[in-house]
Amino acid sequence: MEMDPGTFDKQTLKQFLGLGVNRVSLGVQSFNEDFLKACGRSHGLQDVYEALDIITGLNVSNWSLDLISSLPHQTLEHWEECLREAIGLSPAHVSVYDLQIEEGTKFGVWYKPGHHPLPDEDKSASFYRLASSLLREAGYEHYEISNYAKPGFQCRHNMVYWKNQPYYGFGLGATSYFNGKRFSRPRKLKGYADFVELCINQSSDNFSANEEYLSFYSNTVESVEDRVCDTIMLSLRLASGLNLNELSKNFGHELRVHICKSFLPFINSGHAVAVDSKFKTVPPDTFSTALSEQSASKVLKDVIFIRLTDPDGFLLSNEIISSLFTDLPIK
Amino acid sequence: MDILARIQAASITAPCLAPQHHHKHLQQLCFPMSTGHHFSCFYMHQNHFPVAMPGHPCRIPSGSIRCQSGAVEAPEMQDVKFSKSMLSFDMGKDRLSKVPASQIRNFSIIAHIDHGKSTLADKLLQVTGTVSDREMKEQFLDNMDLERERGITIKLQAARMRYVAKDGEPYCLNLIDTPGHVDFSYEVSRSLAACEGALLVVDASQGVEAQTLANVYLALENNLEIIPVLNKIDLPGADPERVRNEIEEIVGLDCSEAIFCSAKEGIGIQEILESIVAKVPPPKDTSMNPLRALIFDSYYDPYRGVIVYFRVVDGSIKIHDKIQFMASGKEYEVDELGVLSPGQMQVNELFAGEVGYLAASIRSVADARVGDTITSSANKAGMALSGYQEAVPMVFCGLFPVDADQFGELREALEKLQLNDAALKYEPESSSAMGFGFRCGFLGLLHMEIVQERLEREYGLNLITTAPSVVYRVQCADNTVVECSNPCELPEPGKRVWIEEPFIEMITPKEYIGTLMELAQERRGEFKEMKYITESRASVIYILPLAEMVGDFFDQLKSRSKGYASMEYSLSGYRKSDLVRLDILINGEPMDPLAAIVHKDKAFAVGRALTQKLKELIPRQMFKIPIQAAIGTRVIASESISAMRKDVLAKCYGGDISRKKKLLKKQAEGKKRMKSVGRVEVPQDAFMAVLRLEKEVV
Repeated sequence: MEMDPGTFDKQTLKQFLGLGVNRVSLGVQSFNEDFLKACGRSHGLQDVYEALDIITGLNVSNWSLDLISSLPHQTLEHWEECLREAIGLSPAHVSVYDLQIEEGTKFGVWYKPGHHPLPDEDKSASFYRLASSLLREAGYEHYEISNYAKPGFQCRHNMVYWKNQPYYGFGLGATSYFNGKRFSRPRKLKGYADFVELCINQSSDNFSANEEYLSFYSNTVESVEDRVCDTIMLSLRLASGLNLNELSKNFGHELRVHICKSFLPFINSGHAVAVDSKFKTVPPDTFSTALSEQSASKVLKDVIFIRLTDPDGFLLSNEIISSLFTDLPIK
Repeated sequence: MDILARIQAASITAPCLAPQHHHKHLQQLCFPMSTGHHFSCFYMHQNHFPVAMPGHPCRIPSGSIRCQSGAVEAPEMQDVKFSKSMLSFDMGKDRLSKVPASQIRNFSIIAHIDHGKSTLADKLLQVTGTVSDREMKEQFLDNMDLERERGITIKLQAARMRYVAKDGEPYCLNLIDTPGHVDFSYEVSRSLAACEGALLVVDASQGVEAQTLANVYLALENNLEIIPVLNKIDLPGADPERVRNEIEEIVGLDCSEAIFCSAKEGIGIQEILESIVAKVPPPKDTSMNPLRALIFDSYYDPYRGVIVYFRVVDGSIKIHDKIQFMASGKEYEVDELGVLSPGQMQVNELFAGEVGYLAASIRSVADARVGDTITSSANKAGMALSGYQEAVPMVFCGLFPVDADQFGELREALEKLQLNDAALKYEPESSSAMGFGFRCGFLGLLHMEIVQERLEREYGLNLITTAPSVVYRVQCADNTVVECSNPCELPEPGKRVWIEEPFIEMITPKEYIGTLMELAQERRGEFKEMKYITESRASVIYILPLAEMVGDFFDQLKSRSKGYASMEYSLSGYRKSDLVRLDILINGEPMDPLAAIVHKDKAFAVGRALTQKLKELIPRQMFKIPIQAAIGTRVIASESISAMRKDVLAKCYGGDISRKKKLLKKQAEGKKRMKSVGRVEVPQDAFMAVLRLEKEVV
């Protein structure tokens, strides 16, 4: 359950736990009063520590902590302090996000990405590198671009998204993904009520009409290209990377070879690595020789995963993923 | 002046801010197409395509000329003016009737832009009844739209008029148009060679301009009888006496009988017509000689093949005659013969002294080039008429489709344009950065602009053009001389002894001397002399490399003189220059389209400007990119783009997935539009911007 400091007391959390909630993700964001204000949070540092007391007091061991980097005026020293404070509290899981400036928000009016007082691209990259090295040193596994966990504490909920597995979502604007379709529920209450009513009426007498109605809210079945893109972009967020066996099972062997070729420059530059069935890294030379030879298939069969490196590959994941998209043989 | 220089001698005017609304769309071009519509737009052939006109079908079967008078409604009002025009119309409708050679007058009009050539031509056609008042208005409007739409200037090729002079005799007057621009000065000289006389029209308030002078000299070289006309005498600022003296002083022409006129108000028109009859010598009656006809213009018609405009100099030509073009050697049978008045009207035969057109299913204008002589296959003339020159391209540039898929379309478009434009040269060219395109040769800058404009507008192509280059002559170590117009093909430094480049002589009136001097000084110009024509009028002459003019020279001249500077230039020959080839390298890869031949002294500044611009415009990539400007192996300027540090989407959960995918796909689309130079992806617009900058700084 996502919870923000200052929005719950011991009693509330206790009741939630009683209802079966088994994990708390706490939106701390920063351990610095000024930065908390700067990122527009309603809670203060005091609220953060009180919330932490409640969580530990109730013996919730599976809890996560969210941090935001690249805040206005933030320096590398500030960020290190913040990370060390987080590590000292020993959460099971840490999520680290960059401040995203969206157009049309107050932040978008005040600040331009990469311009003072926001840190520039180089500084922002060094924040990311620092988080990666400090958290890994402290025993956290950097299992997803923005997520770190102690062994066994990866966020099972989010893993469903990143593994591109089906899921149901309930509530206003919630998305679901089933039968290869992405489906999004009405965003407004009135529309939502109508939708629910219709579902009830239709399902009792005519199932197919209901399907039709649902399709109004959903995209049609995703195209092969969309599925390939989903697979690439989601799997490369994970440290485990893209599973090539699954790729050829779902989309054919040719695509596997094609994608391996697209990866070659990134493997050569150290932004990605190929991994064999024994979870050993395939040296770039071996990989590139295999690709250039006609006998490519044997070596390539042995390459099971391609993953982005941490932190170099993760940091440039958009660039790499979009290059892979550009190269895709599908129109 | 040597021959080459004479061919090029003509003029360019910069006053593009001319208040003529039909020029509006042309102002974006690098300099004005001053030649524009010499006569008003009406009745003319847009891009040489005949314009069908009510009452003037383009193809009137021979002998059916009477249908034209039928197109005019009977006068309903007894208005004096109206009946007067009807009277002249009666005169005009007989304009196909044959008159003896002694009653033919062939003439052209020489005028500076805005000095009233169009208005005067219109008036002559109206007064002689060649076109009725009603048609004049209708056509004027129609063609305005057409012109605006097509964006290219209009020109009249010729108009045959019938005029009954005060002596009671009917005369056949042929007005032959001249393109006025320097790029087409060769065509001007051919048009003038088809005439015996010319009206020199000078604005009575403005005086003689540089462009006028150049064409007057051409006319004098062709032994034309020149009739000075002072136009716009109705304007408050007109000072015809002063201007008359000026013409006498500058041109050395006797102006005692100069005609004072206002084409707009119809003043002096009758006098002009009488003067043409009295002063312009009739053509010699050489109908008995073997056929020789001079081609002064031609255009490609998709249905009839090339339409050739010519002046019969000797002999006669009949429909179905077998004819030969003496320079190309090609033979054809005349399918259609006629006169221009101003629409095409068919006749059966034309005689020495007459002006007309023919169609003979000719496939390309290259077979019937301007300046060539038409003779009869059965009775060949011994010698062609003098002065034929094949058009030589002076300016070259690379044309590449922005979208590589348009290469085929570009080739087809160039093929089509060449059917109509024998001077356009092109050959395929490819570069790693730009893909496939063409290296094209043009007569000059205007010609280049027109071709680019037509390719984009008429053929819907989106083009990238490289900086224009001139033709260099390279003296090689093995004692050969190589002509080179593409920087990439310049022989290696070790193989060349020296490079020569074309120079021009540039003349401008005193008013613009300051502007011109400043500009010429920046561009390796060399002051030659200051010539005082009269006490108040002087010209300054500069020698400068043609290469310095092919960039933004005219833009600069125009903007620095608020649009008013005028100048003319002529090629003065080749000279040795200290030139080098400047290469631009991105990540060690030469970027061919940016290679340029520049003067050694400018190489550093150009190199620095280009590398800085590229640094600014090329986005960071996954590795560090050096950008260098080099002469041979020596790097003279360098910049570098540091590697991209971070490009990552922090959050990506459930409902977010579609949105993030869209972002990544958009990024992927952007990559597809980039040109790759080695491993580096260069955005299209960066390329364009650098090419634009290069045109300015080289």
